[in-house]
Formats: sequence, C-alpha cells, structure tokens
Amino acid sequence: MIDGPVIQTRSLTKSYGRLDAVRDLDLSVGANRITAFLGRNGAGKSTTIKLLLGMIHATSGDASVLGARIGESKESREMLRRVAYVAENKPLYPYMTVAQMIRFVSSFYPDWRPDAAERLMKEYELPADRKVKSLSKGMRTKLALLLAFARRPDLLILDEPSEGLDPVGIEHLLQHLVAQSADGISVFFSSHQIAEVERIADHVCILDKGRLLVDASLDDLRESYRRIDLVFPSIPLEHEFRMAGVERIETSGRQIRIFSSRNSRTVVQRAYELNAVSVEVTPVALRDIFLETVREN
Amino acid sequence: MLWYKAWLETRGRFLVSLCAISIIIAFFVHHAEHVITPEPKRETYFLLFFVHHYLAGLWILSVVLLGMGGLLRERAIGTSSLTLALPVSRTRVVGVQIALGILEAILLAVLPWSVILFTTDLAGRTFPASQAVFYILLLISGGLVYFALAVLISSLIEGEYTAPAVVYGLVVLSGIIFSSVDSLRPYADLWRFMGGDNYFNHVTYLLSGPFPWFGALTALVVAALMLLASVAVIQKREF
Amino acid sequence: MLLRLNPVAGQPIYLQLMQQIRHAAETGALKDGDQLPSVRSLAEKLVVSPNTVVKAYSELEHEGLIELRQGSGAFATLKRRTRSLTDHMQAARRRIRDLIERLHDDGLLDDEIRRAFEAELLHTAESVARR
Repeated sequence: MIDGPVIQTRSLTKSYGRLDAVRDLDLSVGANRITAFLGRNGAGKSTTIKLLLGMIHATSGDASVLGARIGESKESREMLRRVAYVAENKPLYPYMTVAQMIRFVSSFYPDWRPDAAERLMKEYELPADRKVKSLSKGMRTKLALLLAFARRPDLLILDEPSEGLDPVGIEHLLQHLVAQSADGISVFFSSHQIAEVERIADHVCILDKGRLLVDASLDDLRESYRRIDLVFPSIPLEHEFRMAGVERIETSGRQIRIFSSRNSRTVVQRAYELNAVSVEVTPVALRDIFLETVREN
Repeated sequence: MLWYKAWLETRGRFLVSLCAISIIIAFFVHHAEHVITPEPKRETYFLLFFVHHYLAGLWILSVVLLGMGGLLRERAIGTSSLTLALPVSRTRVVGVQIALGILEAILLAVLPWSVILFTTDLAGRTFPASQAVFYILLLISGGLVYFALAVLISSLIEGEYTAPAVVYGLVVLSGIIFSSVDSLRPYADLWRFMGGDNYFNHVTYLLSGPFPWFGALTALVVAALMLLASVAVIQKREF
Repeated sequence: MLLRLNPVAGQPIYLQLMQQIRHAAETGALKDGDQLPSVRSLAEKLVVSPNTVVKAYSELEHEGLIELRQGSGAFATLKRRTRSLTDHMQAARRRIRDLIERLHDDGLLDDEIRRAFEAELLHTAESVARR
C-alpha cells in the first residue's frame, strides 16, 4: 500500500512553439485506485504520460511519480522500476520471439511474476517461439499487455489499452485491470472509450486542449451531475437559473433544460418558487458529462 | 539484457559484413598459393598490402552499417516507448549499443587477419605476426572515426535510408578531400593512415618504423568526441 | 448470488450493489450466515473496481446487514433489526405496488412515475435540509 499520490503534477506545461499540448496541469492521482484519464484525440493525454515517464521534457512546471521527481536521474530511473507502462502502440521488438521478449523485459524488474506470465501465455495462447513480426495485431496487443500484467508494480500506466482489441479482448482487459487493482496496484489509464471507464474507474480526470477540466471521483460525478427539465406556465426568465453549478441552460418556449454539475437541489427549489408546472430530475451518464464538459471548453 | 538486444539488432549486418569480408579473404587465399613460399618474398608482402586496402574499404562500409540504428530509429518504428520505459538511463542504452558496435568492428578487423595468418602459417609463415598487428591497429584506430560518425549521424537523422546515405556520402567526401588537398597529405590523410601507405617501405614491402601512436590517439580522440556528442544529442531528444 | 449492475444509470455502482445485496437478503436468496464472495472475486466477476465492492461491503456492515471477518471474508448477518427492516421493506413494496397500479389507472406511464418519484425525493430531501 502506498501513501500519498502516485502521480502529482504542478503547473506542468509542454509547448510546441505556440501550441500548448499540456497547459498548467495540476494533476493528483491517488494511490490504490483506478483512475481514468479521459479526453478527445489530441487532448494531451499521451503527452502527459510521456512527460511523466521522462520521454519528453517539460517546458515548465514539475511533476513526480511515486514520489520521484521526473527527469533523467537515478531517482527517476529507480521509479521506473516500480512502474509498468503500456504505450498506445503496444510496442514490441519485431526481431525478438515471444519468449525472448519475456526474457528481455523480465530481466529488468525484480517484481516479475513467472507464474503469472505462464498463466497469461496459456490464456492468450501465445506461441513462445514465434517472432513478434509474424504475430497478428491482436496477439501483439496481448503480449504487450502480458509484459505489464505479469509484474507487481506499484503503478500501472496504460495509454488507450483497449485500442485494437475486440469486445472479448476488452472484457478480459477490464477484468485484468480490476484484478491488478485488487492486488494493490494503482492503475492509471487514458481512454476515449467512455463505456470502459464508467465500469471500472474510481476516479476520472477529463483533459481537453491540454487543460484539466474535471478531476473527481466517478461516484461524486454520478451523485452531483443532474439534468433538470422544467416547464413553466409562462416563458421563464433564464437568468433566474444562472447560479453556481449550472453549466448550461437550454430554453424552448416554456421549457427549460438545465445541466448542473452540482447544487441541483437549489435549482429545483427555485423552480418550485417560480411555480414550475413540471420538474423532472434525471441523473447524467458519464458520456454526457464528458460531452458537456468538452463542449463548454 | 541490453547487450543481447543490441546483438539481435546488429547481428544481421555483422554477419553480412563478415560474409563480404570472407570473399576478400578467399581471394587472398587463392592468390597466396602462388606467392607464399618458405622464404620471405616481396610479392607476399605486396599481396598483403593490396588485400589490406580492399579490406579497409569494406571494413569502413561495414562499420558505418554497424553504427546505424539506435534510439532515433526506434522512435521511427515505434519501439522507443518500450526501451525508454525501462529502468535504465539513455546513456546506458546508447553506451551498450556503441560498445557492441566497437567490439563487432574490432572482430571484423581481427578475424580476417587471423585467417590470413592461419593460411600463411599452413604454408610456413613468411612474415612476422607483428605486421598483422600493425595493419589491424592502423585500421581500427583510424577507422573508428567513421563508426563514430555513423553513430552521430544516426542520432541526428531519422530516415532508415537517409541516415546511411548521408554517412556514406560523407565517407566519399572525406576520401575526395584527402586525395585532392595536398596539405593534408601524408599525415592528416586518414585513408593513407588506415591503409598503411605512410609506413610502407618500398624496398622491403613491409610496414616499418615505429607505430604512429600519436596519430592513432588523435583519431581515437576525434571518434570519442563524436560518440560523446551523439550521447548528448540523445539525452536532449524528445521521444 | 447473481447480481445485475448498470454503470450508465447515473447511480453510483456501490449503491446499486448494496441495493442488490439487500434485495437478496429480503427475498431470502441470501440467508443469515451465508458467505458473500470475496472483494476480489466479486470485482472480477462483475468487472467493477475493487474499491466499489469494498465501499458497498463496508456500508452494508455499517447498516448491520453483513459482517466482515478478518481473514475469512464477508458474511450475511440478518439480525432481528434487519429482519424487521425486511418486513418494513416488504410492506413498503406492497404499498408502492398498489400506488403504481392506481397511477397506471390514472393514465401515467412508468417513466413518468419514475421521474415524479425522483423529483419528489429530491424535493423532500431539500425541504428536510432547509428545516
């Protein structure tokens, strides 16, 4: 069990000329839970991860992973020993066989679990002596995941892990992530597949255009975001509902639709005060929270 | 296991180079039959000198190939995210690649000469082994400059064909410069240095005189500086 | 225990899990002393975060419905208070059933009934908070 955040960034910024790929990021990822990093394509998720792992150098700000400051140093190298990472393109050396890949990667990590590796080899039906370049895409993905799952790191980072997997593969992936979490491993994965995130994430961070827009537990989001549909006897005044927590107001004649991230009770109270004829409050699915958040940005 | 990986990456190029060099050796062995006799003979020494030049040329081509690849190439094919996530410094990754490349380069110089010595031994060696050592040391100390150049260029240029093309272009360019700029000859002329032209005695057809330690050291320092530069380049790079 | 979760419903999964386990206890699918699945196996089976299961189990323990024994796992403890709660629950379900039938007679659809309940619950909670 780890104390303190497994990932912490402070005003982390990465600029390419005038374009900010990541802007003033203050991210804090808690230990012992599954955190999802949601965002559109090009939102800056991969850039953030590469900054954390030292593959890209930050323009300004700083960050630490497992307590170690990022950057080329002995400290950050030792940190990498406790981190398992699967990049978006599931990289493998094409000239190595499956067995050679496993021997190679396992030699760097004392947390390697040979029994888990063997079990996964069987489950994924990976041929030990086949070269990576002759493997199908699905098998390559599975091998790349095996190299991370057959370990017991403190932190598991995955960039779009379900990319390239069929529905059965995705199901197995989610089960493995849940199992890793049950083993005490902190899981941080980026995705633009809302459905996966909604099922297993404890915490959600939404990134758009390099900025962190939402950073909350999924349960908090579920409990506080509401869609409130109101009908009034006469055309209502929109400004009556411009209050804290109201993200968007849509009107159509005597109908008002309010999208609130919190404080829905106050909105409903105001509606009753203004003699609303109909008050309907419905929860909001993560997909809609995401779309609204990103749209507003 | 970094050494193992580097070996897997370069073994194809190494073996191809070895094959090509074997052809030169086969040529030597074929002609040696006529020329090797128990008594020392000038024709033997001239054959050695001649073969060495071809060997040197092929060796330069090979070590340039061996210097290719590296982390920049890995970025192009997508595996840098795997290598750089490993708990090892970039310096170590590049260092192992360089070290293995140098070892392979040395082998590519030593192996053919060993075969030559062995073959002439069969016929009763007629020239001292120290000649072989002289040739080998000249080749390696001068030639590692080209290996280092290849490593440096492949840390700067990403293309699979562009990088070697640039290096080979520079090799040819250097040859042209050496042969046309008179003030460079004979001592700053790297090719003459590697080929042994500067030390070739026209009477005995042997390499004679003291070994040019200063020249060798200078060339090695130039090579070392280029290698250090390539490490620095990789350190700063974004992957 | 066969459980059914809906991640898109907008209700935290741990609450859904708690409801389902309570329902199992009410209907007798879960009897006093029965062992519940371990956190890990339930999480893997339902493909939810283990933290969700932990939260559900600890809330249920707080309510007195289950007992978490160090090293052995989670066990149902349907104490008398819980049993009477179950009776209340069954009575409530009957009343709701009658109400729904009457609302159907008035011409309301299921969705409308559901939304009305949600809004009223929110309104009640808020007026309680005000008081």
